[in-house]
Amino acid sequence: MSENTKQNYLNHPKGIMSWLLTLDHKRIGLMYLFSGILFFFLGGLLALVMRFELAAPGNDIISNEVYNNAYTLHGAIMIFLFIIPAIPGALGNILLPLMVGAKDVAFPRLNLASFYIYSFGALFAMYTIINGGVDTGWTFYTPYSTQSTSNVVPMTLGIFIIGFSSILTGLNFIATVHKMRIPGLTWYKLPLFVWALYGTSLVQITATPVLAITMVLLMLERFLGIGIFDPALGGDPVLYQHFFWFYSHPAVYIMILPAFGIISEIIPVHSRKKIWGYKFIAYSTLSIAFIGFLVWGHHMFTSGQSVFSQIVFSFITYFVGIPTGVKIFSWILTMYKGQVSFTPPMFYALAFLFLFTIGGLTGIFLGAVALDIHLHDTYFVVAHFHYVMQGGTIVAFLGGLHHWWPKSFGVMYNQTIANIAALGVFIGFNGTFFPQFLLGLRGMPRRYATYDEQFVELHSYSTFWSGILGISIFIAVMNLFWSFIKKNKVDPGSNPWGGMTLEWTHTSSPPHPHNFEEEPVLQHGPYDYDQVIVEKTYKK
Amino acid sequence: MSEHHITPLKTYLIIAASLLFLSGVTVWVSYIDLGSFNIVLAMFVATVKASLVAFFFMHLLWDDKKNLTMFLMSLMFFGIFVTITMLDTGFRGDLGLNPETKDPINKRAAFYDTLPLTDTHGHPVDEHHEDKDHH
Ligand code: HEM
Ligand SMILES: [Cu+2]
Repeated sequence: MSENTKQNYLNHPKGIMSWLLTLDHKRIGLMYLFSGILFFFLGGLLALVMRFELAAPGNDIISNEVYNNAYTLHGAIMIFLFIIPAIPGALGNILLPLMVGAKDVAFPRLNLASFYIYSFGALFAMYTIINGGVDTGWTFYTPYSTQSTSNVVPMTLGIFIIGFSSILTGLNFIATVHKMRIPGLTWYKLPLFVWALYGTSLVQITATPVLAITMVLLMLERFLGIGIFDPALGGDPVLYQHFFWFYSHPAVYIMILPAFGIISEIIPVHSRKKIWGYKFIAYSTLSIAFIGFLVWGHHMFTSGQSVFSQIVFSFITYFVGIPTGVKIFSWILTMYKGQVSFTPPMFYALAFLFLFTIGGLTGIFLGAVALDIHLHDTYFVVAHFHYVMQGGTIVAFLGGLHHWWPKSFGVMYNQTIANIAALGVFIGFNGTFFPQFLLGLRGMPRRYATYDEQFVELHSYSTFWSGILGISIFIAVMNLFWSFIKKNKVDPGSNPWGGMTLEWTHTSSPPHPHNFEEEPVLQHGPYDYDQVIVEKTYKK
Repeated sequence: MSEHHITPLKTYLIIAASLLFLSGVTVWVSYIDLGSFNIVLAMFVATVKASLVAFFFMHLLWDDKKNLTMFLMSLMFFGIFVTITMLDTGFRGDLGLNPETKDPINKRAAFYDTLPLTDTHGHPVDEHHEDKDHH
């Protein structure tokens, strides 16, 4: 190893200012990762408080008011401060330039600005906690949100600000994919994670402005009495829901598309097989991004919207299932006759396949208007979106962290503990959320601190397993960070899973401050396991 | 992309003149009562003006076509949002069970006190109107 390879982005340059003012996409990604995980734990703590309150009927631990604050903050923190910014911000930032062979993203300064805008918005959101909380739910439905005396304004302002960070990151990634690829890296040779980030970015820049406008309209009504949503002023309360879901349904694809991308990387590498249906996966990403804009009304089936639009929305919603199914089948066919190894990333990918399929299929149930009128605002919906967001996105995120951990930080975690934790996450997750489907079917409404006797059994199961789930996630994350502390370094040249994309084949672990010592030359496609033999090399 | 397009001064002047002319049109049509069509027309003229600015002053016409695609996409998504939302507001209460909910907008709202009342088709609603005249 030359002197040069001993330098990496983690140890060069040194000093706190070199981090705070860094333009290096890898360092910015790392800062996103730390803040994201911090918010993940905060949101998770709130979830456990709610679950323990629900272990038995009645107000045992917290009052109704505190409960209302807890679910609002849990939802807002998890969605706006963790899931939406964390995957593109952390894994996307660290990997996108490496995967396209670039020195950095297209606009490094803008990238740092995005991070600070995100932090600034997060401050507003955190301020609401010390100032007494918000109680509207993460959806801020009118008319309640224009009347509530809780901190609706700071929270929506925070979300408004974070939206800009999302837009700028999207813009940056789109420019990077278009302009920074090395020669020869054509669209169809891009790793599928890059396609997924590209699709996500398109949704971010087209949908997020609508969220910002919605938040502005809410404040215009609150402060200037301009009638937009309040019928007493000539407005239309259902219009708020149109505005909100025109952003927030596409936003669920901001959350899930990067996860799809991670799974498309993990499965071929850990099955040592060329991905099945590359173009199908790539184009299904774009079509999901597009169809996602046409279905928002399925969140409003009981809002009093016209029956005509209910039918239209219900019909279009079914179409989302097609590109999603295409992906699931492609991943399964990729594993078929491959050499599947049960490494921690692969465990998470398999868990994802199970959990996301259940989540997606129950989404189709809810998309059927006749059924949704009964299930809307019950625990069935709660179970559905946790299966897709936690069982899908967060499980894929954990898988991605385990997959790229040795690459990004040059250290290897204890794989046995990682596998056990992954199993704990899978079992704990199902134990927590499967009973909630049954609760919902039996009529348990969401967002209540207490409930009828008849629901005790299922609720207490759910609470018990949520403890196991919480502990397992904690162990999984601590196991990762422990590898830092123990300095369990891997050889800078090692490729522990035998990946074929540029970040594995052309740069050291952890990468050089400028990514590549010289511009990489593309020798094969991202998943050419049928043509090239890649050695798995893992040296301490 | 590499060679830079230089727009002749004449083009700029023609566009500036058209913008002024269209501003005049906006003011002029606001005096003609076309019912709810007034707002459609005003929005249309504004869109044409904004497009002229984007295409000529901001050089979108000569720029990389990807940027044009982005611009058109944003118009398309705006169109989707408005059109599909109208599928609701235009047909609200179409099940006909409750005549009270048939019209999404509360015509008795304080906001409308200053305006002559109209039904959903823009025709004046007489009884209320007369009420007001005799105040
Ligand atoms: C297979 C595609 C999917 C379909 C057809 C679908 C359908 C639906 C429907 C119809 C609802 C409304 C239920 C109700 O409120 O009555 C819903 C709620 C929800 N879905 Fe999905 N969904 C899908 C995938 C996803 C994904 C991938 C995510 C996120 C990663 C997601 C997140 C949510 C959330 C957060 C809610 C609840 C919002 C709230 O009211 O707080 N869904 N889904
Ligand atoms: Cu949706």
